[in-house]
Amino acid sequence: MARLIEELRKLPGVGAKSAQRLAFHILRSPEEDAGALADAIRDVRQRLRLCSICNNITDFDPCAYCSSPTRNQRLVCVVEEPTSIASVEKTRSWNGVFHVLHGTLSPLHGIGPEHLRTGGLVARAQRGELDEVILATSPTVEGEATANWLADLLRPSGVRLSRIATGVPAGSDIEYADEVTMARALEGRRQM
Amino acid sequence: MNAYQAEAVILRTWPVQEADQIVSLFTRPHGRIRGVAKAAAKSRRRFGGALEPMTWVSASYVEKPKQDLVRLDSCEVLSSPLSDPVDYLRAAALAFYAEVLEEALPDHDPNEPAFRLLLAVLHHSRTSHIWMPVSYFALWITRLLGWMPSVTDCAVCGEAFGREPAWFHAEEDGLVCGRHKRPGSRMLSAESLLLARRIFQSPIAALTEESWPAHRSADLRRFAVQALERHLERRLRSAAALAKLGG
Ligand SMILES: [Zn+2]
Ligand SMILES: [Zn+2]
Repeated sequence: MARLIEELRKLPGVGAKSAQRLAFHILRSPEEDAGALADAIRDVRQRLRLCSICNNITDFDPCAYCSSPTRNQRLVCVVEEPTSIASVEKTRSWNGVFHVLHGTLSPLHGIGPEHLRTGGLVARAQRGELDEVILATSPTVEGEATANWLADLLRPSGVRLSRIATGVPAGSDIEYADEVTMARALEGRRQM
Repeated sequence: MNAYQAEAVILRTWPVQEADQIVSLFTRPHGRIRGVAKAAAKSRRRFGGALEPMTWVSASYVEKPKQDLVRLDSCEVLSSPLSDPVDYLRAAALAFYAEVLEEALPDHDPNEPAFRLLLAVLHHSRTSHIWMPVSYFALWITRLLGWMPSVTDCAVCGEAFGREPAWFHAEEDGLVCGRHKRPGSRMLSAESLLLARRIFQSPIAALTEESWPAHRSADLRRFAVQALERHLERRLRSAAALAKLGG
């Protein structure tokens, strides 16, 4: 029991108390359920890996996006995490592929340029395999720093670089937009 | 229950529960406090981008009896670090201010000089103009916390450094002269000592016109960071990031 609690505590967001609660829950649940959980954990480690092209999490390599014949492989959207892909995909208007950094530059967490997975992307840009790279990191200090740093890295290849627009959220009242958001919205205006 | 509206600078946030955030803020009237921003991840209406670290805000919060955490009701942006371009170096500088204050400021202890220092360095921390405000902050915050030894004379013999360099050691607090330095000490150049004295006598605006490459006052920053880390009894990650970028 102590071993299980110890292992659960290593999960992000799980403290001593939650770990204990989870462990008791597992103990009380039917044996099949506990077995299924254990199998799912084992499977995910054995079957899933990172795509060798885009770093997305996948069970076959290259991933579904990178091996898709209908997607534009010369158009790359750079995101922070594999989970960000879903946000772009749910727009159903993106027909390019992705590149996952697995984080942002974060001086507070000791994450420097050497920790981000960018080698493959830069190499593809240098070989002329890409038309455009869209930097879709978050509009936070760390996300902006990451986008600017990556842009500097990619610029010599001559690839077209763009940053996602930020501004007033759709369906919201502009009365509530803070000054930074409003300034960005004006800066990123488009012609009608 | 006491309700306040006060100037503050956001130091750090942590997600809790589904969409709530714990926010550490350096308020002008109450020093560093922690609060809960309910549904901050969802309610862009109340917080927008105001919870980004190093945003200067007007915060509305409610103190509840016998509770550590205040209830943060809203934050209005007075000045955001995102109003100016952000590169990695500027992000590291902002992280440095945030980390030092988060670690060093005691709870509920107003510190007007430190608050003014922070607003001043934030105002001057522009892309490609980072090393002056970072050096200014490192020296001044160390002094305001009471951890800056004399930069004019030797901690052992009391003799003035004059035009000579001074020395500091990883396991000691003060600066010493060449005669009293221990093996393994690091040097603080005479030029940097002079600069330190100027920093302590000048408002930050007086230094903005000077060219300030990374190597200028790198030894001063190292000295200040060492003093901070010795007193905090921990390493400052953002200081390590800055050191990698040039000092
Ligand atoms: Zn892929
Ligand atoms: Zn001496």
